[in-house]
Amino acid sequence: MKPVKVVVTGMGVISPIGNSIEDFWSGLISGKCGIGPITLFNTDGFPVTIAAEVKNFDPGLFMGLKRADRAGRCAQFAIAASRMALEQSGLVIDDSNSDRIGTVIGTSGMPELLAEQAYIIDQKGANRVDPLVVSQYRASMVPAHVGLELGVKGVNTSVNSACASGNDSIGTALRMIRSGLADVIFAGGAGANVTPLAIAATARIGALSKGADPCRPFDLNRSGFVYGEGAAMLVLESLEHARKRGARVLAEIAGAGWSFDAASETSPVIPERVRAMEQALDDAVIDKSEIEYINAHGTGTKLNDAIETRAIKAVFGKRAYEIPVSSNKSMTGHLGCASGSIEAVACILGMNEGIVPPTINYETPDPECDLDYVPNVSRNLQYNACLSNSFGLGGQNCSLVIKRFDG
Amino acid sequence: MKDTIEEKLKQITLKVTRKPDAEFSGQTTFQDLDADSMDKVQILIALEEEFGIEIPDEEIATIETMGEFVEYIQAKLSVKESGAQD
Repeated sequence: MKPVKVVVTGMGVISPIGNSIEDFWSGLISGKCGIGPITLFNTDGFPVTIAAEVKNFDPGLFMGLKRADRAGRCAQFAIAASRMALEQSGLVIDDSNSDRIGTVIGTSGMPELLAEQAYIIDQKGANRVDPLVVSQYRASMVPAHVGLELGVKGVNTSVNSACASGNDSIGTALRMIRSGLADVIFAGGAGANVTPLAIAATARIGALSKGADPCRPFDLNRSGFVYGEGAAMLVLESLEHARKRGARVLAEIAGAGWSFDAASETSPVIPERVRAMEQALDDAVIDKSEIEYINAHGTGTKLNDAIETRAIKAVFGKRAYEIPVSSNKSMTGHLGCASGSIEAVACILGMNEGIVPPTINYETPDPECDLDYVPNVSRNLQYNACLSNSFGLGGQNCSLVIKRFDG
Repeated sequence: MKDTIEEKLKQITLKVTRKPDAEFSGQTTFQDLDADSMDKVQILIALEEEFGIEIPDEEIATIETMGEFVEYIQAKLSVKESGAQD
């Protein structure tokens, strides 16, 4: 029996550099930086004052206002991106297929809301807790709101492996479709973490770019990542299902590899990152010589970028120097649980358009980071297969191999 | 006072149910506004904040129309005021 191929037939994004696929892509290839002063809360007294916020987002364009109230910002992003992906896919959801269509989203929901409500309990009493918090804060409610909105009744779950979640959800959906659990899965990630608690806590452990310095992955003077927010959703389906309904195929999700460092809460290690990449290559049944572009995790922290560089060299040997490696996070900020998904979208757009997006804010080379990071300006490059890395704080690693679909 | 209560109830209810242009009178029911249990809790909390009263769920379990709700709040407020005079 031929193995089940899983393809992408629709994509949608809400991002700090644009709230449509077209705007996101034109921003990405023109080196647009979505990072700016935080407007979502008052940053007086905060050590970090910048983030990559989603701008001009109108949930009413994508869903009823009551749904928007109950969903909250994170799930609103996921619903909006799912609606765009659905539209592009041309999929018709009805009683005949809704139980074969699932939703898998990498997200942590909106834990910030718990901090606010704990304060209300303390100040006003338990009865004044906002009832909406129940439908807004939980990670599980993000895919639930998407499933409710689209009326899809197949597998519905959230995955969370920190910053690896966006790849994890796509890899998990890949496995689910291969196994026959579903014909179609809305897979991706969503995050809305430009919040006082997330910024304060992550700044406190030294992971965020200092002050108002933008994210500069692989640069000698990089000082950390910058929080972003948004969502990216992809319609994944079995090739057979896509063919049967005459869908346009955008790319193939060829393989996924997972590993866990089991070393430290905060410091990454090389061997397990290597293993995630190698497993993804094995899973895709592709020779590493066929990988022509790497979309890096590239957070802009001292440790990540140096360790990721060494891991890439360990996988690809001398050829590592010939493969363009770029980090979208210099432009989008770090979308947390959504970062892998939005980067998968970038990989697919790049493959279809023949362009590799740059790593911006790159000024001073670091001897420890000596690969070709496509500095500052996008590059024309036809490529047929790429690798996309996502590594979570805590030690979860997930890499994807994405291929041009050749029929 | 009754008019103020009715106006506030209208504002809060139509805001929570996201039906700014819906008809609203003493005969309007929660069902008419498609308000489910989560909407009702939001409306209660907003009213408690607005009027400085406690509205236990069991006391309003049988209330159906907005007119009945206005009367209930009015009664609560008069108890509160007489309490304040003690």
